[in-house]
Amino acid sequence: MLSSSIEFLLNNELITINDANTNTTVLEYLRNYKNLKGTKEGCASGDCGACTAVIAEIKNNKLKYKSINTCITLLYSLHSKQLLTVEYIESKYLHPVQQSMIDNDGAQCGFCTPGFIMAMYAMHKNKIRPTESNINRYLSGNLCRCTGYRPIKESLKNLKKYKNLDSDTSKVFKKLKKIKLKDVALNNDGAKFYIHQNLKSFKKDFLKSNNPSLLVGGTDISLDITKKRSNLNEIFYLGLNKNLNYVKVRSNNIHIGAATPINDILGTLKKYYPTFYEMFERYGSEQIRNVASLGGNIGSASPIGDSLPVLISLDAMLVLDGLKSRKIEMSNYFVGYRQTKLRKNEFIKEIIIPLKSKNNIHKCYKISKRIDDDISSVFMAINAEIKNNTIKSIKIVCGGMAATPKIAKLTEKYLKNKKITYENISKAKLIISKEFSPLSDVRGSKNYRTKIVSNLLDRFWNEYNNKKVTVYDF
Amino acid sequence: MTSNTFIKNVEHESAIKHVTGRAIYTDDISEPRNLLHAAIGFSPVSKGIIERIDFSEVLNSDGVVDIITDRDIEGQNDVGPIFKGDKIFTSKKIEYHGQPIFAVIASSTKLARQALLKVKLKIKKQTPIITIEDAIKKKSFVLKSKTIKRGKSSSAIANSKHRLSGKLECGGQDHFYLEGQIAMTIPQEDNNFLIYSSTQHPSETQQIVAKVLNQKFNSINVKVRRIGGGFGGKETQSFLFAAISSIAAKKLNRPVKLRIDRDDDMIMTGKRHPFIFEYEVGFSDNGRINGLKILMASNCGISADLSGAINDRAIYHIDNAYFIPNLDLTSHRCKTNTVSSTAFRGFGGPQGMFCIENIIDHIAHHLKKEPANIRVQNFYKKNHNNITHYGMKIEDNIIEEIFNDLKKKSNYTMRKKEIEKFNSSNEILKKGISITPVKFGISFTTTHLNQAGALVHIYTDGSIHLNHGGIEMGQGLMTKLALVAANEFGLDIKDIKLSSTDTEKVANTSASAASATTDLNGGAVLNAIYNIKLELDEFIKKNYKTKKITYKNGKIICDNKILQFKEVISNAYLNRIKLYSSGFYKTPKINVNVKDLSGRPFLYFAYGAAVSEVIIDTLTGENKVLQVDIIHDVGKSINQRIDIGQIEGGFVQGLGWLTTEEISWNKDGNILSHSPSTYKIPTAAEIPEKFNVEIYKKGFNIEKVVNRSKAVGEPPFMLAISVFSAIKNAVTNKNQNSKIINLIAPATPENILKSINNEI
Repeated sequence: MLSSSIEFLLNNELITINDANTNTTVLEYLRNYKNLKGTKEGCASGDCGACTAVIAEIKNNKLKYKSINTCITLLYSLHSKQLLTVEYIESKYLHPVQQSMIDNDGAQCGFCTPGFIMAMYAMHKNKIRPTESNINRYLSGNLCRCTGYRPIKESLKNLKKYKNLDSDTSKVFKKLKKIKLKDVALNNDGAKFYIHQNLKSFKKDFLKSNNPSLLVGGTDISLDITKKRSNLNEIFYLGLNKNLNYVKVRSNNIHIGAATPINDILGTLKKYYPTFYEMFERYGSEQIRNVASLGGNIGSASPIGDSLPVLISLDAMLVLDGLKSRKIEMSNYFVGYRQTKLRKNEFIKEIIIPLKSKNNIHKCYKISKRIDDDISSVFMAINAEIKNNTIKSIKIVCGGMAATPKIAKLTEKYLKNKKITYENISKAKLIISKEFSPLSDVRGSKNYRTKIVSNLLDRFWNEYNNKKVTVYDF
Repeated sequence: MTSNTFIKNVEHESAIKHVTGRAIYTDDISEPRNLLHAAIGFSPVSKGIIERIDFSEVLNSDGVVDIITDRDIEGQNDVGPIFKGDKIFTSKKIEYHGQPIFAVIASSTKLARQALLKVKLKIKKQTPIITIEDAIKKKSFVLKSKTIKRGKSSSAIANSKHRLSGKLECGGQDHFYLEGQIAMTIPQEDNNFLIYSSTQHPSETQQIVAKVLNQKFNSINVKVRRIGGGFGGKETQSFLFAAISSIAAKKLNRPVKLRIDRDDDMIMTGKRHPFIFEYEVGFSDNGRINGLKILMASNCGISADLSGAINDRAIYHIDNAYFIPNLDLTSHRCKTNTVSSTAFRGFGGPQGMFCIENIIDHIAHHLKKEPANIRVQNFYKKNHNNITHYGMKIEDNIIEEIFNDLKKKSNYTMRKKEIEKFNSSNEILKKGISITPVKFGISFTTTHLNQAGALVHIYTDGSIHLNHGGIEMGQGLMTKLALVAANEFGLDIKDIKLSSTDTEKVANTSASAASATTDLNGGAVLNAIYNIKLELDEFIKKNYKTKKITYKNGKIICDNKILQFKEVISNAYLNRIKLYSSGFYKTPKINVNVKDLSGRPFLYFAYGAAVSEVIIDTLTGENKVLQVDIIHDVGKSINQRIDIGQIEGGFVQGLGWLTTEEISWNKDGNILSHSPSTYKIPTAAEIPEKFNVEIYKKGFNIEKVVNRSKAVGEPPFMLAISVFSAIKNAVTNKNQNSKIINLIAPATPENILKSINNEI
C-alpha cells in the first residue's frame, strides 16, 4: 500500500504531485511552479516570516490551523494537508484581518504584509484573543522594517469591529478526509522522499538507508538546502508518523514522541512544568513552534538549543531506536559540538521527562539580545529540591557556555546539602564563574557569558525570595 | 505654489494590493520566457591577492550557461556614484569580505547559487585594516579629513568653570529591507536594455549601467513601481546588481535576473557608518556649553561611496537643537577593509546628534542637574543665538514649544519622581527616563541634487496619469503626490493613475532620499499641473465665459454654471488644448560652500521630541522600553496617517540601531552577523504598549513647500536617541557615584552590563 506521490490541497485545488525535486520548498513551489507570487521570500531561513502561509490539518476530527514558514517547509511534507496562501483568504470581500490592516495602516512598503496577514489569519482562525502578550507571541516570527509594529498590533486589537466572514470549511474537511493516509515513497532521479504512517514501516526503510535526513519542521535541516545549497538525497518526513507524534503522561513520566510539534506538547508542559512552558514562549517563533520538534532540537545537537539544558535539568531520558531500542540519560547524550551518542541507523524515538515532587523549584533563564525569536547568549536551567531551607539536590545546566549543553557540576556539588543563604549563593557564583570557558561569538563575549551565569544565580536567589527581578515582570 | 491646503487622510494607495499579495515587486514581474538567472561569487576573505581561479567545475555544474568576470565589462568596472572606487568584479586585489569576483549565469537561481560554490580560489591573504582606530593610526582614509571652526573653542573651554572630556562610540546598522536586492535586465532592440531594479535611484542606475556597458544613457531604461523597503540601502547599493544583470544580458543577449540571497545581501552591501567621537567641553554652572572640541571618525569601509555627504551631515547635526558658540570639529573618513558604508535613514545626522546628546547627559550627570533643563538651557533661541555653526540662520525654530509641550503631556517630571522611588526600593532593576529633541535639516546638502521633474497627462476621458522621479518604498510618496494632483484637479485620489517611475518619462532625477522626495516631486507635480492649467483655464474662461474657475468634486465651478470635469476635458481636446505637461522644481534659497561647509545647506528644519522610559536588569543587562511619548513636527500634513507611520517606523528603526542591532566582525574582517538569526531588528515585542505619538498640531512650514508640509522620512529616526539616553540614565541610577557613564551603542544587554561594571 505504497503511494508514489503526495496529495494536498493548495487553497481549494487538489494537487497530486511527484515530479518536483524532493528538495523543493513550499515557497519555491508557490512562486515558481504555481505563479502564486503573493508569498514573499525575505530570508530563506525561517527568521523573517515574509513567506508565512497557513496549513490546515485534521486533528481530532477538526481542522486545525498553523502558520508556517514556507521558505523552510519542504513541498512533500504538505501531504494530506491544506495549504492556505494569501491569495486564498480574500473572497468577494477582504478578510477582516486584511481590512483591519488597511484601516490601521499596517502596511508601508508592503513586502512583509502578506506574511503578517497569514500569521494574523491563523490567529483569527484559532480564535486567539488579541491581548498584547498574545499578539507579541503570535507575531514574533514576522519582521517588519517600516511600520514599527504599532499599527499592526492595532489591527489585531481592532479585529472585533469587523464581521466575521468565515467561509464554510466542511467542504475542505471532506476533501482532506478523502486523501488516503498511505505511506509515500517518492524517487526522483535517485533522490528519495519517504512519508511513513507508523514506526514499523519507517524502520524498514530507515535501516536500509545510507544517508538519511530526518525531517519534521525542517527548521534546521532545510537550511542545508537554502543556505548551504546542498541536496538532501534521502529524506524521511516524520510529521505524519503516529508512533512519533504523541504526548502521554504515564506513571510519573511525560512521554513525548520525538516528532511531536512543540506547540502540541505545550498544554502538558504548562500543567506539569510551567517554567518549561514559559521558556517556549521565547523559543523561536510561532511558525517555528508550530512545526519544530523536541526530537529535532535534540537531534541537531546544537549547543544553543534552549530545550536541551531544560531537559537535562529535569533528568530527561531519551529512547533511541533502530536495530534495537535503548534508553539513555540526556545528560550523557552529548559528546561534542553537534556530536552525540546516536549511532548510525539509530534515531530518537521518544523523550521521557520524569515528574518531580512538589518541593522542586524549577527555573529557566534565557538571556538574548532580543526578547523574541532570538538565540540565547546564555541559557540556564535550574532544578532544585529545597526542604527546610536546605538544598537537597540541585541541577544547574547551561547552554551557550560550551560546545554542548553543560552541567555546572562543581557548583552543584558545592550547593548540595547547603542552606540556601545569600552567602552560599555568593560562593556558588564564584565557583560557577570559573567552571566554564565559553567562546566569544556574535551572541556574546566570553567575559559576558561568564558574568551572566554567575549573576543568574543571583536571580535565582531573588526569585527564591519571591522578588520580581526581571524586566519581563514589567 | 498653491494656496490651497488640504488634508485627506486616505490609506496608502497600494494598501489593498499589499494585504492581498497583489502588489508587484521586482521578483513578481512576469518573467520573459528565456530568462536566465545569475548569482554572485564573492570573496571569502577581507584582504588578499587572488593567485588562481579555477572555474572548470562551475562551468560543468548543472544548468550553468556562462560565467561573467571583469573581462566581460565593455565600459567601466565601477559602480561608484560620485567617486570611483566601487569595483563590480575584482580579478586580483581583494579588499573586503563580500567583494564580487564573478557571476554565474544559469537556468535557475538555485542552480546558479549551487554552481558558484564549486569555484576553486587560491587567495594569498593579507592583513586587513578593520577598525576605525587602526585606520586612523595608519592614516587610511577614503576622503580628506574636514575641520570646521567657530569662535575660539580652546579658550572658551579653558575659561569655563567646568570642563569634561570623553569618548563615545556608535555602531553600524544593516538596512534589512524585507525585499532583498534584485535586478532584472531585458534586452531590447538596438542594444538597448530595460532594467527592473529595486532601487531608490533609477536615474543613476541608468547612468552607471550605461557607463558599464559603454553605451549612451539614452540606451538604458530603468523602471521601478515600488520597492520593498530601501532606507538608504538601495540609494547606491543597488547599482552593482543592475550592472551585473545587464552585463550578462548584453553578453548573452537574453534577459537575466539577479536576486540576492539574504545572507549574501547582508555580506555584500554597505551599512550605516559606525562612528567614534572624542570630545572636550567647557560649560557654565547652569550647563550652558561655552566651547566644544570634537574629533569624529567614521568607518567608511573600502570606498568613498556617499561617505563625503554622510560625514558632512554628521557635522551639520553635531549641534542638534543647541547653540554652540565655540566649536572646533575634525572629521575623519576612515578607509577599512570592510564593505563600503553607505546611506541609511538620517545619513550621518543620527551619529552627529548621538554625540551631542551624550555630551549633554554627561554635563547633567556632572552637575547633578536635570538633563532636560540642560537641554533647554542650550537650545537655539528665536531672536538671538540662532545662527548654526555653519552660518545658517534658523528662522523656523519651534523646538522649545514642542519640547515643553511634550514634557508636560508625558508627565515627565512626575514620572521621574516615581522612577526615583522605584529605584530606591529596587537593587537589581533600575528604571531610567529621558527626553531628547530633534532638529533635522531638510535638503540634499549637495545643492544640485535638489531638483525634480514630473509628468502629468489628462486623457480625453478625464482620467489622469501621474509620473515623477520619486520612488515608492513604503513611505507613502505616491499617495501624497496623488493627493496633491487630485486636489489640484478637484478629483478623487482614485482618478489619479500612478505609474512606475521610469527614466524614459522623467529624466535626470535625484535619488529618493534626504527625506525631501515629496517636497521636490510634489513641487514638480504642482508645476506640471500649473503648466496644463495655464492653457486649460484660458480655454475654460473663453469657452464658458467665466472669470472664476474652481476645480472641486469632479466638477469645475464657474461664475454661473457648474461643469463636469470630464466634459470640459473632452471639449478642450476637441479645441486642440494641450492636456499634458512636464513640471520642474528646484529648491530655492539653498547654497553651500563646499570647502568649509558654510552657507544655507537646508531650506528648513523639521523638529520633534521624544520621552522614553526604560527598565534595565543590572545583573544581565536585559532591558525593556516601558513607554514612549512623541510629538513631531510635519508642518501642515498632506496625509496624517502616512506621517504617523513614518514617525513610528522611523523611531522603531532608530530604537533597533541603538539597542538590539549589532553588526559583528571577526578579527579577520569577516562579517559574522549576516542573517536575521544573528542580526536582530526589533520585533513586535520591543514596542511598548504605551506608545503615544502625536503630530505637532501647530505645524506649518514657513517655506513654500507643497501644502506647507515638512519632510518626515528621516527626522523621527533620531527621536530614538531618547531610548539610549534613558538606558544611560538607568545605568546612572545604578552607579550614582561613577564620574562618567560610558555606554557603547547599540545598548545590547552585554554593552549595558559592561557599562554598569565600568568595563569600558
